Amino acid sequence: MSPTTATTTSAPTTRPSPSRFRRTLRLTRTEFTLFVRYKTAWWILSMPLLMLFLTFQIPSYELMDGVSSVDMALAGVMGTIGVFVGVGHASNVFTARRESLVLKRLRVSGVPPLVIFGATTAIIVFFSLLAAVAMVALIALMTGQTPRDPLMLAVAVTLNAAVMTMVGLLITPYVRNSESAQMVSVLPMMGLFFLGGVYVPLDFLPDGAQRVVELLPVAPTAQLAQAAYSGYDVFDGFAGAESASYLGLWAAALPSVAVMLVWITALALLVGRVFRWDPRQP
Amino acid sequence: MTTTAHSAATDAPGRTTADGPAVVVDDLRQHYGDFEAVRGVSFEIRPGELFALLGTNGAGKTTTIETLEGFHRPTSGTVRVFGEDPYGQPAAIRERTNAVLQGSGLLEDLTVRETVDLARDLAARPRGTEEVLDTVGLTDKRGIAVRQLSGGQKRRLDLALALVTTPEVLYLDEPTTGMDPEARIDTWRIVSELKRDGVAILLTTHYLEEAERLADRLAIMHRGRVRVEGTLTSVLEGWGDRVAFAVPEDVRTADLPGLEGADLSVETRDQTLWATYTVRDGDVAERAHRAVAALLSWAGERGTTLRHLQVRGASLEDVFLSVADGAADLV
Repeated sequence: MSPTTATTTSAPTTRPSPSRFRRTLRLTRTEFTLFVRYKTAWWILSMPLLMLFLTFQIPSYELMDGVSSVDMALAGVMGTIGVFVGVGHASNVFTARRESLVLKRLRVSGVPPLVIFGATTAIIVFFSLLAAVAMVALIALMTGQTPRDPLMLAVAVTLNAAVMTMVGLLITPYVRNSESAQMVSVLPMMGLFFLGGVYVPLDFLPDGAQRVVELLPVAPTAQLAQAAYSGYDVFDGFAGAESASYLGLWAAALPSVAVMLVWITALALLVGRVFRWDPRQP
Repeated sequence: MTTTAHSAATDAPGRTTADGPAVVVDDLRQHYGDFEAVRGVSFEIRPGELFALLGTNGAGKTTTIETLEGFHRPTSGTVRVFGEDPYGQPAAIRERTNAVLQGSGLLEDLTVRETVDLARDLAARPRGTEEVLDTVGLTDKRGIAVRQLSGGQKRRLDLALALVTTPEVLYLDEPTTGMDPEARIDTWRIVSELKRDGVAILLTTHYLEEAERLADRLAIMHRGRVRVEGTLTSVLEGWGDRVAFAVPEDVRTADLPGLEGADLSVETRDQTLWATYTVRDGDVAERAHRAVAALLSWAGERGTTLRHLQVRGASLEDVFLSVADGAADLV
């Protein structure tokens, strides 16, 4: 330490207290740096791309006029990017940061929970969208298909990433370290992915099961992505699906968007109740 | 650097006054199931005052701090920081408090400078990054990754993160653990500066010398209760002065004189019999003198010599060890 200037006595900067939004943006900037420097994050981000390559291998048959089963599965994978990035990254880093007291350090410094969760959610949404852009380019390169409604595709990726970040956060109270978080998160990751109707069209499920799956937080975003890609109203299944206008497609998408918003709200409230900031267990 | 007093006392609504305590803990109890970690702890800390909370491992110090930090709701009793319940870290107090945790809590992939910049940008009343790094002696380390710092350097960075937000209440949970002696002394100087600036500080430490140097008042906890509390002087006064000497070979233990207001104990050290008088009664400023005078008089009458004669006041370690029942669990 400096022998001549070991003092804390200069006046602090006086400025308006930064808003939660500004703090969230600032922490998001650091989250970006951390994500870029964290090799495991890149591995997690590559998982949906891996699933995309596997999807090219499934049997192709025509589902709708000019739209194949592979086209819809590829679109469905894009609507489930968050299952990998959200569940995998959030559960991993928040468990590690809790155990290393980083979260506690942020809280005692006066950073509100909403800012901490918001920054992580923002960065997971950002990298999910980045992965989606890469996947759109890849699909265009290999099949010539591009999304009819890119905005709807972006909404699907965003909603899925936000919900899955909450799922990842909900894993953390039940695991002791980041290694166990990685192992435990594989179960909901795979379960949610295969319940999304990506590889097994929901039409093949019994009516009751289909209704339940449609209310889970994956199928709605997979359907949004499939509708965004095909331009067909696929929200009641592929059988009998018809091409829809831009506004007509958005009107048909509203229930799916609503389901996801309900999930985000419910899971965020649950995170607020059960999340543990401190590694010390009473 | 210039000295600019930053006092917790302001006229803003809800803020403490210069005379009022910044932290009040009243009959705090914390249960975890059947286990009672904290059993009726009370204390206050005023702006510019350092209160040291000492104790054995598991005494309840960290639970008490975590309750003040807002992580636990008291099972019973009350805690107040600037008159507010800190549970959940309400906006009214979270920007006015900070802590150095028992563990570091640093993002290891960031550089030192990035770490302080982040804390600075998130703070409501930040100090400059360079100033804070200079204060803790990490200026030459600012470009390197946190993971490359030594344990002591990480503790300095922890302190920097607390300083950069200009807290009015600061919780220091074993802040110098892992530091080399030079860094520890520098940290003491920084903490003294903070006190002068009006910061109310709660310190826990296993270094009793640290508490002796810094604390205005202190408490020693054991098994969830405060066993001893007061200023350092008042605590030590209550534990008496020690007068010790090697018992002459021609004196039997039974022949050692009794002194008024003093307890005698005899023990063998290095194959030598030692007598120790603990003098508790009488004028604090004169009681050791009176005891020594009486013993020298007795020795003169017997024509013997008090070899290795030692006189010392009680140390905080004496008090601590007595409280801790022999301190088998002392670190």
